[in-house]
Amino acid sequence: MSAIHLQNLVKKFGDFTALKTMDLAIADGEFMALLGPSGCGKSTTMNMIAGMEEPTSGKILFAERDMAGVPMGRRGVGFVFQNYAIFTHMTVRQNLAYGPKMRGAPKAEIDRRVGAIAEMLQLTPLLDRKADRLSVNILQRVAIGRSAIMEPAIFLLDEPLSNVDAAFRAVMRTELKQLQRQFRQTMVYVTHDQLEAMTMADRIAVMDHGVLQQVGTPLEVYNNPANVFVARFIGAPGMNLLKGKPAESDRGLVIDLGTLGVTPPLPAEIAAAVRGTQGDVLYGFRPEQAALVKRGQGLSLPVTFVERIGARTIVHLGQGEGAVKAVFGNDVGLAIGQTAVVAPAAQSVRVFDAATGLAVRAG
Amino acid sequence: MSAVTATISEDVMKTVQAKPALRHEGAKLGFRLTLPAQILVLFIAVFPLLMQLYISLTDWSPLSGLGWWNAWSLWNNFANYTDLAVDARFWSALKRTAIVMIVCVPVEFLLGLALATLFADEFPGKRIFYSILLMPMMVVPAVAGYMFFMLFQSGGPLNDLLSAISGMPVTIAWLSDPTLALIAVMVADIWQWTPLMFLILLAGLVGVPEDQIKAATLLGANPWQRFVTIVLPKMRTIIIIALAIRVIENFKIFDTLYIMTGGGPGVATETISVYIYKLTTQDLIWGYVAAIALAILIVLSIAAVFAMKRMARAREVTA
Repeated sequence: MSAIHLQNLVKKFGDFTALKTMDLAIADGEFMALLGPSGCGKSTTMNMIAGMEEPTSGKILFAERDMAGVPMGRRGVGFVFQNYAIFTHMTVRQNLAYGPKMRGAPKAEIDRRVGAIAEMLQLTPLLDRKADRLSVNILQRVAIGRSAIMEPAIFLLDEPLSNVDAAFRAVMRTELKQLQRQFRQTMVYVTHDQLEAMTMADRIAVMDHGVLQQVGTPLEVYNNPANVFVARFIGAPGMNLLKGKPAESDRGLVIDLGTLGVTPPLPAEIAAAVRGTQGDVLYGFRPEQAALVKRGQGLSLPVTFVERIGARTIVHLGQGEGAVKAVFGNDVGLAIGQTAVVAPAAQSVRVFDAATGLAVRAG
Repeated sequence: MSAVTATISEDVMKTVQAKPALRHEGAKLGFRLTLPAQILVLFIAVFPLLMQLYISLTDWSPLSGLGWWNAWSLWNNFANYTDLAVDARFWSALKRTAIVMIVCVPVEFLLGLALATLFADEFPGKRIFYSILLMPMMVVPAVAGYMFFMLFQSGGPLNDLLSAISGMPVTIAWLSDPTLALIAVMVADIWQWTPLMFLILLAGLVGVPEDQIKAATLLGANPWQRFVTIVLPKMRTIIIIALAIRVIENFKIFDTLYIMTGGGPGVATETISVYIYKLTTQDLIWGYVAAIALAILIVLSIAAVFAMKRMARAREVTA
């Protein structure tokens, strides 16, 4: 059991800065997902936690203990690789026993621990199978078991589901989450798949271009994105963002979106915050929060594309800067060429400063 | 979801097996496709082999005035083979060949492996050293023979160097001393063929998956443990190939050695190839030469089959 503190962590590869001043506190026993597109610095962060790479500057603390100079074999970290890195020339049993054996544990103890971990992960009938002919979910369990047998305080998982097809992924997400409940270790999970992060993590750290964008529970980052990047990245499709100028009207503060017209009035709390800003803003709302309303009560936009995905229908409206997506039930009667009038639920509206990209928050 | 779970468990329980009927079909087609090549092999390998067997049962020689097909008139009741069994010069040549192999191949292997391990990591000037290291392999063996012949002269550069180091005149007659001559030819062989070993083993070494090595490190294995438990087993096949190539080649050691010592002093460095060469070109007793060559071929074939069987069994055990 161990908390992880990253303090002013910086990593440079030559001239390229992979990670810019990262501060992150991961609580003991927490499941933290590092989420971001490829090249955002999430794997670099994880490799530094594991000790595979040395930070250029900054500190990594495990339960207040500085890890600088502690080699990766002595950090007490379990690491599950993207492709699991199973020792294919060994049996499942030899894979599981590898760690204790290298540390010189007595044979009786190794047998006992391998037996216990195999029982827990339902690997007992497969113990004497060669590891190069196992299916991918078994490989995942072997990889986890091989690390877990060392009883690491911290578990690091590097995109363990990215080589798996979509149908398997659902099964393995569930399995992973259950395993985490069993082991109760601090887990850091690197992924570019927001669905994995959303479904498994206690908190998500969203990263982009080496910068930590936001840390919060899955619902926090979904409902209240800290900036434009998070708003667009989280959610499928991402948040709609329309550029405009705040303007006073007799019904309250609205955003003048230029050719798209004027938005419905903002809720009082946000309106107060927006009045305190200067310059253009971005008017944001989730596609799922858009509803069809009467003419004059929302934004009038031509339907450009209708994407039917079974339970839901994604309707693409408008073009270029003024493009909006809206998600409806599958019974929506819109077709290409028609005009739709949509308005977001008032409480779901989020406003961002167009210059800084940061959320304009009430209070 | 249940369909998915079903496929998983089937996946786990089932090992892939080709249907026997299908395999038989494939074998037939394969035989037909390789038939032209097999006929060619028949003429290149089988015909000379039968010819060799025929001559080896006679006293035929190119000086006997008979065409080889008439060699039956010189039939000698297996005398070549009975002579072979008591030919002390043959047996000592065989022993010498074995000694050279037992020394050279492991030394080349260990040096090659050490160099490959070194070159698997980055270091300044790696490309230059790499090219230098491969050069011996590109030298024509006869030229390498002359190089070492001159290097090991009693007034040669090696003795000069030893003199400079020790501070007193060194005049070792390397190639005239039976033991030193054998060492000298082994040094030449090791110099020339370690690069090949290095090259093959380096290819195997860079093929070892890096994340498995990282995984082993994270599990607490030290560099030596990683080498023994991960790197070597992963290189197993390539090591066997490298050793097999060198054992076969080394058994036939000839050109460099012949130029350096001619098999001398006396017969001190006379290997099987040198002995056969001398019998062929100097004694001209081709019937006997055929018998020796055939005997060696049979012994080597049996050894090869035995080795391959053991290899296959070892693979099954680990599989």
